[in-house]
Amino acid sequence: MLELVALTKRYGDVVALDGLSMTVAPGRIHGFVGRNGAGKTTTMRIALGLARPDAGEVRWKDRPVTAADRRGFGYMPEERGLYPKMTALDQIVYFARLSGMGPAEASTAAQAILESIGIGERSGEPVEQLSLGNQQRCQLAAALVTSPELLVLDEPFSGLDPVGVDALSGVLQTQVDQGTAVVYSSHQLELVERLSDEVTIIDQGRVVASGEVPTVRSSRGADRLKVELADGGTGWADGLTGAKVVGRDGNEVVLELLPGGDDQDVLDAARHAGRVRSFRREAPTLTELFREVVSS
Amino acid sequence: MSTLQVVRLVAGRELRERIRSKAFRISCGVSLAFILAVAILPGVLSDDGPTTYDVGVFGEGAEQLGDRLPVVAGQLDDDLAIDVRRLGDAAEAERLVESGDLDAAVGDNRIVVDEELGGRLEFVVQEANRQVVAEATLSGAGVAPDVAGRVLTPQPLEVQALDPESDEDSAKEGLVFFGTILLYGQLLGFGYWVASGVVEEKASRVVEILLAKARPGQLLAGKVIGIGLLGLVQLVAFVVIGLLTAQLTGSVDLPPETVSVAVQVVLWFVLGFALYSCLFAVGGAMASRVEELQSTTTPLTFLAVASLFAAMNTGGDPTGRIAEIATFIPFSAPMVLPIRIAAGEVGLGTVVVAVAIVLASIVAAMMLAARVYAGGALHLRGQLALRKALRAG
Repeated sequence: MLELVALTKRYGDVVALDGLSMTVAPGRIHGFVGRNGAGKTTTMRIALGLARPDAGEVRWKDRPVTAADRRGFGYMPEERGLYPKMTALDQIVYFARLSGMGPAEASTAAQAILESIGIGERSGEPVEQLSLGNQQRCQLAAALVTSPELLVLDEPFSGLDPVGVDALSGVLQTQVDQGTAVVYSSHQLELVERLSDEVTIIDQGRVVASGEVPTVRSSRGADRLKVELADGGTGWADGLTGAKVVGRDGNEVVLELLPGGDDQDVLDAARHAGRVRSFRREAPTLTELFREVVSS
Repeated sequence: MSTLQVVRLVAGRELRERIRSKAFRISCGVSLAFILAVAILPGVLSDDGPTTYDVGVFGEGAEQLGDRLPVVAGQLDDDLAIDVRRLGDAAEAERLVESGDLDAAVGDNRIVVDEELGGRLEFVVQEANRQVVAEATLSGAGVAPDVAGRVLTPQPLEVQALDPESDEDSAKEGLVFFGTILLYGQLLGFGYWVASGVVEEKASRVVEILLAKARPGQLLAGKVIGIGLLGLVQLVAFVVIGLLTAQLTGSVDLPPETVSVAVQVVLWFVLGFALYSCLFAVGGAMASRVEELQSTTTPLTFLAVASLFAAMNTGGDPTGRIAEIATFIPFSAPMVLPIRIAAGEVGLGTVVVAVAIVLASIVAAMMLAARVYAGGALHLRGQLALRKALRAG
């Protein structure tokens, strides 16, 4: 288990992290979201030892993290980077060896990981000659080659097409099934909601929501009512007194009940306006929640 | 993993990848061509044998002039010879000169040439003519031939050099000169590779993965040692190839100090590279793209060029003011001292002090480089001010 305890980091006058704490458990995928500049990359860099916190602590398996622990972590930085002229295989072997593996072990592991992510046949080519997609796979291989117990991925899905997203999701799922703790940042909130077991939302260096995804969704803000009419638009909802409109999509309107408001009154108003196709009560999606917490 | 293991891994990668790179192979080829040219060409160019002119003589006094021409030529220069041909008349002379069979023809108080008469040949012909005419005149005036001979060709004056330059001295100077050029080239070339190696890792963003695995100081040390080893091996290879070629072809006279000069060049490369490469690494850490290297390494290039000039000056005047000052400046010492030591113009005490200054500077440069590298490694956009990098490190 990775524990970040009350991390604080300043860059000059800018407060990047302000007492941030979170945990990443083994066998769980942990989504890490926040606006640009909220402190995600700084948090990850501190976890990896690339930056020093002004205060706070990074713990691994219930004790302060060591350099040897960190060498075993898998890391994929937001700024992707490999040696352009080095072959994919040499490169992955090199990173494995820097992580502390012996020559034979590193070579076997590098070949295995490149095979498993589908670039085994091209592993002898310089990285600059690989397609962008294959370069990304190679980057992932660099993070996975040590069979890490902790995988830290900064924006791993950015720039991937839907097929790439599915492939990477599959790889992460496999890792988690093997007991790896995975933490990744992303701006694709629907994806985070679908893929993650747990999520942490940060804003201005502070955690504003954290926990299992369903718990987080229902913890903040009132439930939404989603009402869809067969026809007739969404104008009927504007006159409601017990609920306010928070979103519209075609004939569907999303409402938030105000204090004292009754969902049955909403249903009556909807039936009055036209034929109700669907009427359901839902916790806010991660996207809705995110908008709400970071704008408040 | 120990620091030594990490440094060895990083150095090993640098060595392997550099050797494989096209840039290294090209620079090797160019340098080797230059060295072979320096080792072989002097022999080829200087060993072209004596110069021989074909000169015809005709008309009155042709016999005496024909005898005199080779003698005068031989007195002027051992390598100058004249083949004399006796001609029937002026017409034949003009025909043979025109056809190029003769360089010149002399007779009837004139010298027949095709276009022009070379300076040395003109001197020889005029002098021979003057002697022949003077001899005839003196003889006509009743002067005895041996007296006339003494008047016309007195014993040449002997040159007495107070500080004669032996062939060996000039050979040694030449050797040290090329050693210095080679040293300068290796220091600057491989130093620049350290800078570009640092900035390439930043530009390709791979540095962030590396820093998650190893400490900045370990990465920097590995890079400097890997590239430095390659530079050292290449330098030794160049020196050995150059000297062997010179020895085998016999084109350059190698003085007895050759081996000691060669060893010095190699040893001073080690010290000089340690100093320059750390500072080049600072230049690399301050840039975020290869294009910015030019401006961040300019002060260093300037120092290296100034040191080369100091070394050239020292070559001409190993005891001069510039040589003495440059001995105690860490940037110029590695280039100036081999020259002064080879010239035997510097005491052991001075060498010890100079080496101590260079070593102290190396330590300071390493500390500076490690700090700036740590501070600048994750600064991936724009040029970084030195003060900012130091604070971040």
